Amino acid sequence: MKNQSAGAAEGKSVPRRDHAMFDAELSAKALNVQLLRRLLQWIRPYRLTVLVSSVLILIASALQVMLPVVTSIVIIDHLFIGNTDHATPDMGMVDATDWIIATTGFPPLIAACVLYAVLHVAWAVTSHLHRLTLISAVIKGLRDLRLDLFRHLETRPSSFYDRVAVGRIMTRVTNDIEALYELLRGIGTLIGEFVPFFVALVIMLAVDVELTIILLIALPIMGGATMYFRRVTGQLFRLVRQSVSTLNQNLQENLAGLQVVQLSDRQDRNLAQYTRINEGNRSLEIRSMNIETLYGAFTDSMASIALGVIIWYAGGSMVQDQISLGGIILFTRFIDMLFHPVVVLGEQTNILFRAMASGERIFQALDWDERIHEPDQPAALPPRLHGSVEFKHLDFAYTPDIPVLRDVSFTINPGEKLAIVGPTGSGKSTLIRLLGRFYDFDDGQIFLDGIDLNRIHTHDLRSRIGVVLQDFHIFSGTIYENIALGNSSIDRDRAIAAARTVNAHEFISRLPSGYDTVLSERGQNLSQGQRQLLAFARVLAADPEILILDEATASIDTETELLIQDALRKLTHGRTSILIAHRLQTIQEADRVLVLHHGRVKELGTHEELIALRGLYYTLHTLQFQDVSDEELDSLA
Amino acid sequence: MLRSLIRLRTFAAPYLTTLLLGVLAFLGARVLEALVPLFLARGIDSLASGSYDVLLPVLGITAAVAGRFVVVSYARITVRKVGQNIGFDLRQRLYAQLQLQGSEFFNTYTIGDMMTRAVADIGLVQRLVSMGTILLVILVFAAIVGFSFMMALEPTLTLLILPPLPFVFIYAWYASRKMGVASRDVQDRLSDLGTHVQENLSGIRTIQAMVQEENEVRRFGATNQGYADAFYEQARINSAMGAWMPTLTAISSLIIIGYGGSLVLAGTMSVGVFTAFFFYLAMVVQPFRVAGFMVNLFQRAAVAAERLFEVFDLAPEIVDRPSGNTPRQITGKIDIRDLSYRYPRSAEPALRDITLHIEPGEIIAIMGRVGAGKTTLLKTIVRLLDPPPGTVLIDGHDAREYPLSQLRSQIAMVPQDPFLFAEAIRSNVTYDDPARDADQVWLAAEAADLKQTIEDFPARLETIVGERGVTLSGGQKQRATLARGLIRNAPVLILDDCFSSVDTETEEHILSQLKHLRHGQTTLLVSHRVSTARHADRIVIIDDGRIVEIGSHADLLDSGGYYRELERIQREGATESDYASVGAPG
Repeated sequence: MKNQSAGAAEGKSVPRRDHAMFDAELSAKALNVQLLRRLLQWIRPYRLTVLVSSVLILIASALQVMLPVVTSIVIIDHLFIGNTDHATPDMGMVDATDWIIATTGFPPLIAACVLYAVLHVAWAVTSHLHRLTLISAVIKGLRDLRLDLFRHLETRPSSFYDRVAVGRIMTRVTNDIEALYELLRGIGTLIGEFVPFFVALVIMLAVDVELTIILLIALPIMGGATMYFRRVTGQLFRLVRQSVSTLNQNLQENLAGLQVVQLSDRQDRNLAQYTRINEGNRSLEIRSMNIETLYGAFTDSMASIALGVIIWYAGGSMVQDQISLGGIILFTRFIDMLFHPVVVLGEQTNILFRAMASGERIFQALDWDERIHEPDQPAALPPRLHGSVEFKHLDFAYTPDIPVLRDVSFTINPGEKLAIVGPTGSGKSTLIRLLGRFYDFDDGQIFLDGIDLNRIHTHDLRSRIGVVLQDFHIFSGTIYENIALGNSSIDRDRAIAAARTVNAHEFISRLPSGYDTVLSERGQNLSQGQRQLLAFARVLAADPEILILDEATASIDTETELLIQDALRKLTHGRTSILIAHRLQTIQEADRVLVLHHGRVKELGTHEELIALRGLYYTLHTLQFQDVSDEELDSLA
Repeated sequence: MLRSLIRLRTFAAPYLTTLLLGVLAFLGARVLEALVPLFLARGIDSLASGSYDVLLPVLGITAAVAGRFVVVSYARITVRKVGQNIGFDLRQRLYAQLQLQGSEFFNTYTIGDMMTRAVADIGLVQRLVSMGTILLVILVFAAIVGFSFMMALEPTLTLLILPPLPFVFIYAWYASRKMGVASRDVQDRLSDLGTHVQENLSGIRTIQAMVQEENEVRRFGATNQGYADAFYEQARINSAMGAWMPTLTAISSLIIIGYGGSLVLAGTMSVGVFTAFFFYLAMVVQPFRVAGFMVNLFQRAAVAAERLFEVFDLAPEIVDRPSGNTPRQITGKIDIRDLSYRYPRSAEPALRDITLHIEPGEIIAIMGRVGAGKTTLLKTIVRLLDPPPGTVLIDGHDAREYPLSQLRSQIAMVPQDPFLFAEAIRSNVTYDDPARDADQVWLAAEAADLKQTIEDFPARLETIVGERGVTLSGGQKQRATLARGLIRNAPVLILDDCFSSVDTETEEHILSQLKHLRHGQTTLLVSHRVSTARHADRIVIIDDGRIVEIGSHADLLDSGGYYRELERIQREGATESDYASVGAPG
């Protein structure tokens, strides 16, 4: 019966994957250059913008540094003291002032004011444009990355979604990309801090090497303090985050289960428990705040101490006429430009490392190439299928050694209605999933109108098969859009006709905007029964040749139940239908019933034939087709 | 809105002295900070005069910096701690208050809404105290201290650099408002994005089955673009603020250069003072720059406080007012007399003239359509809803006269929704009293047919359930909540449709055991299944808030009403005439 060679020869077998890897916590410890380089691929389309931005930051930094030069060298040395022949470099600012005086005839102070104003406005404009261009490139790049990631996820197969948590995947599309944004913005901020830093450094070295070196000594001290602070608070912040989330979880759970809390008279005990968590959180918050306060006060003090150092140094060196008064004052104005980048660097490192981990997670998802195998040359399907389905010696296992389907063979005739029954875990859902080619299989065959399913492209196949699953997914949009699903051949009349046939028209007309009522994705504004009817309307409007239905098990009140049963009869009329049935009514109305047990076809025939057989079907019937497991059935049968 | 900020004073009252000390320390810190430019000016002047005597200025700066470090650290730590304490107190109050709420509350508010209040709103009030106080103090003190020093140095120049500052403030206010709107928009769109992905992925099988992948990618593209646009807008406003604010301030710098410079040239002001003015300008302008942010913070915190007080002001739905003459141990006799109940804000009563006498030891099944009033009736018995006085009597006493905790310990109710806490199975089953021993847990688990399930878990009773633990099936959850009700062995047991996900076979098994275990004790149960109801001594059919049929299984089959129809449909399946009767159009 086994037919492994065919599959192996074609290389269809998917390699075993460790899905736990996908959910595992990734944490990058170091700067990952390769990752950065890869990330930059998404920025590449916008490289011209980035180039413009880089030129702008250079101009802006030069302008920013010129402003203190004007107030100290030009005004103090040149205008106040009249010290023009001094060696202190002025970057041409003195000449610029003289030029303004010469061309406009303004008094010198007014000319300096004009120069200062022009430089300031030019700085404001260029730095603003620099930020805008940089941010625009980053936002566009990450927008593209997010869309690529989404497209990739959208086409991953069921075998992937069976094993990874949706919540975890979601955080990759949202939080992880946010972290990358923080990363790129952080790099932008550092550029905005360090370019002026180096420009200022060049001028300071030109003015006085000795004083520059003395001031630079402060940098390792600040850097060390910053690193120490970040290390201590890094751990503390993690604890704070944990305690905040515990605190919130406790409250949330208490609210969600409030009825149980009250019925169990647990209010006092729960309040005491919450108080303990709240106290723990408070003391952690206070501890981390205290450290932060001390660090902030320390970095503030460093800037003021530097002022003292400059004055003290000037007292000695000016005697020897090494530096002008304007030069000294210029140094006092550069202190912030010198120290601030270190503080910012400290702020950004944590973000950087967190973003590295996020980047790894995103690329791991993008690199996850699990997919459904598609035929190289897909078979062309006729415009209308007859609708015959044949399963031939089909074996299937999700994980090796745990077979789910064993040697399943049966045929469904065009237009026939087949109910599949069996205990939980007998393989019913797997059977219909394979028919929809949600999983690759290579052991056995399925034929659709005589065509091997593995030779049909999944898109072609799925547009011929209507599937109604237990969790009816509502697409956000109007009711009409939910019925038509972007198929232009389904106009309003056809949608309404479909809804009318499956008893959905009545409730839809009663909605505030009828067919234009906007639904949220989970369809919270519809009842379970209404959602099922809407799902029926959607399938009927698409008019597929084959219908697959996984009947909902949840108990619905008898009236809605009757509406659904009626709709189902109309939906399946004259259409090849495979129904995983839980309701007696559905089963009795099927042409034939197939009983699955432990992945094997045990019984196949009409309701009456199987009842007369007094076998598994008979037992299930007496249990009213409730959910029983394979094992439970074994113990009864 | 201001009223809610004023009401916050009750929460600030215990920390008032500490807060005042902190504020005073801030004043000291400001003065020390303002001394630095003064010493700097003296140093520069002595350099300019050629005396090169800088010892005093350098010592002065060092002392002021050291002093400021100590004082400002003390001030910040003190004030922030008060903020934390007030946040702590608000959380405690909110928690205690929420525990008193009932179903009416949950009809009005969602859990998500309450979580927002607990997290974001308390956070805002906390920030108002710790950050708002600091900012307010900076604003007032920086203005006072900074201006006093400048006035003392050069009054005319000081008055001249004032006029542009209000513009800095107005722009800052305007920009921070725009910023607030933009960042809320970003938050909203980010959460849209998250919801979009989450809901899309949870329906991925349908999407793929319906070949909707490309459509969905296109739809996501729109959401994605919306988020990118909002993000850019926020960044643009932020960057514009970064450019405008210093430019507006630069007007004052120009006045220092132009007018101050002329004073220096005229010899009436020293170069040192000229330089010091730039430092003072930075000190004075800072509060004007943050003022917009601060006004914003005050406004948002006021709204947050209002939302918190809204919850604090809620009266408890069920008032515990024991009369003192109720029996300690009840026998399980329940008398319901002419009970009508209408939910607040509902036009139609949910229960109409219900009269029902239940003897100790009776098993009563309650059936009826969804929304008929079954759960409402059960809730009035345990006072999850308050029945009108004199309508629900337990052992001859009005249910309202019992202490709530006693009433609920004597009447164990298993609600419809099988809620489990994300804790061990043991903690869930012994939720009412964690001191119960393992034997009791096993007995209850056995009675609820859960023993085998628990034994199959490696950690057995210590198995954690819920999000961070094993996921139980619907039937397993229902059986676990059943065990939680059974373990209490209460004189009255109420089961509100808690077998809906349990298969019939198991249900029959549990019920027959229950009959035996609870012999002589009262049991009320709601079910949709005739196979369940037939175990009861009497079956009550409720429709539209009224009792329409009552009697034993045999009685009701004979009388030929709703119950008999239900029995037939569940036994045989529906017929053509049943479809016709629900009005399905052909």
